Amino acid sequence: MTTITTNTPSAGGSWQDPEVLRTLRDLYAAGRLEAEYPSVRPLLARLPERQLPAAGQLLARLDRDDVVRHHADVPVVTVAVTGQSTVAPLVAPLTAELARHGLLLDPVVSPYGSYLADLLGPGGAEPDRRPTLTLCLLDAHTVFEEVPLPWRVEDVEAAARSRLALISRAVRAHQDGGRGPLVLNTVPLLHRHARQLVDLRSRARLGIVWREFNSGLLALAEEHPGLIVVDLDPLVAQGTPAYEPRTGLYAKARLAEGLLASYARDVGHLVTGLLGRTRKCLVLDLDGTLWGGVLGEDGVDGVELGSGFRGEAFAEFQRVVAQLGSQGVLLAVSSKNDDAKVREALREHPSMLLREEDFVRVNANWSAKHDNLRDIAERVGIGLDSFVFVDDSTFECGLVREQLPQVAVVHVDEEPALHPAALLADGWFDLPVLTDEDRERAARYRTEARRQEFREDTGSYQDYLDGLGIEVTVRPPEPAELSRVSQLTLRTNQFHLAPERLQLPQVREWAERPDRGVLVVRARDRFGDHGLVGAVFWRRDAEDLHIDNYVLSCRVFSRGIESACLAAVLEHAAASGAHGALARHRPTPRNAAFASFYIDHGFVPTGVAPEDPATVVFRHALRDITPAPAHLRLHTAFEEN
Amino acid sequence: MTATAIADAAGFCALLEDELGIRLAPEDLDRPLDEVAEWDSVHLLRLVTVVENVTGRRVPVADLLEAVTFQQMYEVVRA
Repeated sequence: MTTITTNTPSAGGSWQDPEVLRTLRDLYAAGRLEAEYPSVRPLLARLPERQLPAAGQLLARLDRDDVVRHHADVPVVTVAVTGQSTVAPLVAPLTAELARHGLLLDPVVSPYGSYLADLLGPGGAEPDRRPTLTLCLLDAHTVFEEVPLPWRVEDVEAAARSRLALISRAVRAHQDGGRGPLVLNTVPLLHRHARQLVDLRSRARLGIVWREFNSGLLALAEEHPGLIVVDLDPLVAQGTPAYEPRTGLYAKARLAEGLLASYARDVGHLVTGLLGRTRKCLVLDLDGTLWGGVLGEDGVDGVELGSGFRGEAFAEFQRVVAQLGSQGVLLAVSSKNDDAKVREALREHPSMLLREEDFVRVNANWSAKHDNLRDIAERVGIGLDSFVFVDDSTFECGLVREQLPQVAVVHVDEEPALHPAALLADGWFDLPVLTDEDRERAARYRTEARRQEFREDTGSYQDYLDGLGIEVTVRPPEPAELSRVSQLTLRTNQFHLAPERLQLPQVREWAERPDRGVLVVRARDRFGDHGLVGAVFWRRDAEDLHIDNYVLSCRVFSRGIESACLAAVLEHAAASGAHGALARHRPTPRNAAFASFYIDHGFVPTGVAPEDPATVVFRHALRDITPAPAHLRLHTAFEEN
Repeated sequence: MTATAIADAAGFCALLEDELGIRLAPEDLDRPLDEVAEWDSVHLLRLVTVVENVTGRRVPVADLLEAVTFQQMYEVVRA
């Protein structure tokens, strides 16, 4: 990869690099883009936005098998694309958007107009190409296909109702078939349809009918946890045309190129969300980002914030940041400033909307920002690939991007009114469902800091554990807890003993099947509630209890919780007459530290799983069960209420 | 890229390579499109946008869709 040089932009230099596309083209022409695929993501991070479509065309031509041969660790995401119109034009922009996240798209594109057959049909994809998700693109023709000529609003109303019913049935069939997450979209009302009604009363009525159709689509997602409906209205409101008449008519491509590109961006984030790779932490610069001016020179009272034109714009940006923070995005500061002055501004400035306590870390010092980001990651205990960094300095942005390519960098410029749009241009924090754990994340990390202080003030580790007053509850999940269980399987890499990534419907199915079940683990201590931190997936046959998977969040490691829960499960198995307990460990690069977990708890290895030779099976005879550690209190309930 | 970028067939070929990743030898210009493995009609939609951006002129899309060789395509967009 020596041929790719990363130029650090100088202060005041251009943020984006128009030469990146040339680099991609050269790599492609030399037949080396497959071998260099890991460099594509950092290159795209510097590519001017207007050149992304051209990059998408090149990337869509890559030999996927060749990429995987070179880089077995690149995640391949199979996406089925179907729809009412010609959907192939989505492939190039979607390839580019997934590449921005370091993913490789494997598209399965349906022929024109086959969406109903695709959703209603059996879903005959070969097992290794089972889609991670299915995109079903709807457009205005979805309704107008059924509208006669000449037409009145009543005709559109009837067509919209009948189409919605049909789509509803198709969604149900697809979801009941267990065919993975499905994505629909709302359909923008086209100018060319509204204007064909000359009386304004009818035109208004068309607006109602049309929105009822879209509301009906959006409401389907409330019935089906595996369905996501992307609302195209906000994308169209950004100013991209929904329809291009020539490609719409001649090629039956009825969603315009620009809209498909915006949609592809949303889908890129949706995929990262489904894979549990949503970003969690927003690190902000201060001068020029959260307020105007230079704190060190202008003083606390002198920075632009709250009053004046620009001051109001900075306050507005703070409101947007606070709103993200309220939904579990961890906020932090990295600023080249004097710490005392920054603390004073955060506490004292009358117009600061974000206060010291809103940030999990405030790093104000004169060290390099990439070192500060590393420090924040370490202290908060999350990976740098969960970070989004915002700064108005092209120099700082460039340096962070170069030093920490896994961090998403958002460059805001000298116009603070555009800061919110720059931050929100990407759905970095999008996730399918917001759980209680997400909302309480910031409070939890603050609690963790107090726990750390307690640890530092306590003598031995055992004294610390004794003093924590840990209480652990093991019981079947409440319905509202299932999305958190799904999230744990998606996001947990270390204590995830037989990793299986489960979306919400799959968790629900597991929990509801006879002779199977899920147990959730909740933990709290004197400092606060850890929330739902673990899950055990069990199965029972005539002889034995099977622990098919066991997952525990890394934030409660080393407190004996994993041992306590296992003890509880084994005691229950013995009490319910099982002869033994079988458990499995499927090694991955990330869970190797727990390869001997079952052996350490009295299990013996008996061989490998019949369906997967990589999975090791262990057995416990349910005699001499290692008791739960004495420093914690365990509450168990194995039957559902 | 300027308006002169597709002033000749070589410029058109360069555009196809840069924007769509399709590399053509001069003799490929007259080959039927369905013999060119890299070509897919979906590329044509992208080509319309690219050419209109480059030239600032409207491309007659229906004529472009009827072209059966790159040479014919070039003649449509050059017109």
